Amino acid sequence: MSAPSLAPFILKRPWLQKWVKPLANWYVNAAGYRQLGLRADDLIPEENDTVQLALKRLPPKDAYDRVFRLRRAFQCSVSHQLLPKNEWTKQEEDTPYLSNIIQEIEAEMKEREDLEALVVSKRAANAKSGH
Amino acid sequence: MFTRSTACRSAQRVARQQAVRPAQRRGLAAPASGSFQYQSGDAQGVKFASRDLAGPTTTLALVAKAGTRYQPLPGLTEGLQNFAFRSTERRSTLRIVRESELLGAELNSYHTRENLVLEAKFLRDDLPYFVELFGEVAASTKYLPHVYLEEVLPLIQFAHKRFLANPLDMAINSAHSLAFHRGLGVPTASASSTPYTKYLEADTIEWFSKIAYAKPNFAVVANGAEHGELSKWVNEFFGGVPASPLEELTTGTEQSKYYGGQERIAHDGANAMAIAFPGSSSFTGKFYKPELAVLGSLLGGQSSIKWSSGFSLLGNAKASPGTQVKTTSAIYSDAGLLYTTITGNAANVAKTAYSAVELIQKIASGDISAEDIQKAKAAAKFKELENGQDVKAGLVLTGSGLVHNTKAYQIDEVAKAIDGVTDAAVKSAAKSLLENKASVSAVGDLFVLPYAEDLGLKV
Repeated sequence: MSAPSLAPFILKRPWLQKWVKPLANWYVNAAGYRQLGLRADDLIPEENDTVQLALKRLPPKDAYDRVFRLRRAFQCSVSHQLLPKNEWTKQEEDTPYLSNIIQEIEAEMKEREDLEALVVSKRAANAKSGH
Repeated sequence: MFTRSTACRSAQRVARQQAVRPAQRRGLAAPASGSFQYQSGDAQGVKFASRDLAGPTTTLALVAKAGTRYQPLPGLTEGLQNFAFRSTERRSTLRIVRESELLGAELNSYHTRENLVLEAKFLRDDLPYFVELFGEVAASTKYLPHVYLEEVLPLIQFAHKRFLANPLDMAINSAHSLAFHRGLGVPTASASSTPYTKYLEADTIEWFSKIAYAKPNFAVVANGAEHGELSKWVNEFFGGVPASPLEELTTGTEQSKYYGGQERIAHDGANAMAIAFPGSSSFTGKFYKPELAVLGSLLGGQSSIKWSSGFSLLGNAKASPGTQVKTTSAIYSDAGLLYTTITGNAANVAKTAYSAVELIQKIASGDISAEDIQKAKAAAKFKELENGQDVKAGLVLTGSGLVHNTKAYQIDEVAKAIDGVTDAAVKSAAKSLLENKASVSAVGDLFVLPYAEDLGLKV
């Protein structure tokens, strides 16, 4: 599920971005998932219908890679180790691959709800006639 | 309450009027041709035709030359058909459905052997909306892999299952493939799961759509729309459609050739036999033979009148009332197939198949009364004219006439041609059926169903 995020707000303002960027870099590093070879999108909780559907829609290669990363991270985690430094996720590799699909699904669901709440009014031209 | 005498008098009057009228009444040979005529036009390379029937509703169709005959890979036509009215760049599937529902419209897509048809029926005022929708479907449908997997593929699988459960469909498709091998012989539904496990993918369907929905390959036909209106909206909304196909395909474009043969398929559901012979092409094609339409209705099998077996030879000769017999003269742009289908109990199907061949032999030897042939001609002509008046058939025939760049389907001339069929022509047509190779397909209990040689046919 996509959580509320300040990122778009900050990215729109370059001066603010310049301030926040070092802080963000520090935070991502401190979160430690890159040291386990994961990407940020691997951390999205998957126990709900939306994300399950998004996972189904992943291209086969992406789905395979995701499972590989997760299993490798579990292995590292149970053996209390980090990956060798050259296998850490690099910043340019840490791209969203799931959240865009989730956003699409959420947009679909929102559209459905909007259409359910639709109020129908007759066209002015036909208001008087029967049909 | 009428007194008896007045009732009698009015009955007499009616009888007198009836007696007078036939002289003034227009015969079937000269139908009110105005209603059959479509006005055609060209809007930035998009061919369109319309006829302005008085009435509050409109039927709009997009006829693309992308039937199973022209598909370069198996299943593409079905894929494209089921991708119609899915999400486009501008609106989602749900939005299209809901908006059409609000306008009280009906959306439909189907395919025949030669054409892929998108059809919408709606109130007259809504023409611009649906022309725009068709323009969008043709130009900017999003062929997404997940839409294919979640929405399109299940429909293709259902069609496959339906096809396998229907011996009659299997027999007809098998007869077509025996008769024409490729091209017209390609089954209209997936006969196995190979098409969608091996060839179909969202990308391939998208590629095919760029060919099927290119300007030279489709036509927009409307029934009950003003010509000027349609022209205006087609001009406006079909700008995004590719002007020429992505690739020039040659699949299915060569002249159909008749082969013939025999196929037997075991089936535990029911029994069906199709006995097929080379037929007549459509009126617009090069091999038009009106006598085959007459021969078809002479053999017939189905009665058009309730509680009667009808005049047709097979209708009277079928082995039991529960046996379904039907003779169809299927016409395509450059070839045709005259086929009799028989379904029912295996023993009865076998018996009826024998009598079908005997009847053709009887027609060939000239043992049929002139009266029967007269009835058959009337029935054939009625069917043809009714076909012309029927909105759905008219749309497809007109659309495919425009796309194939031949003359328009002139129903009056077809009716005249049928009128001109002589008894001798029917006789010689029947003789040539027996001399040529037949295509015989038996589906069901193969222990009982006969071989073509047993029936006395050449294969």
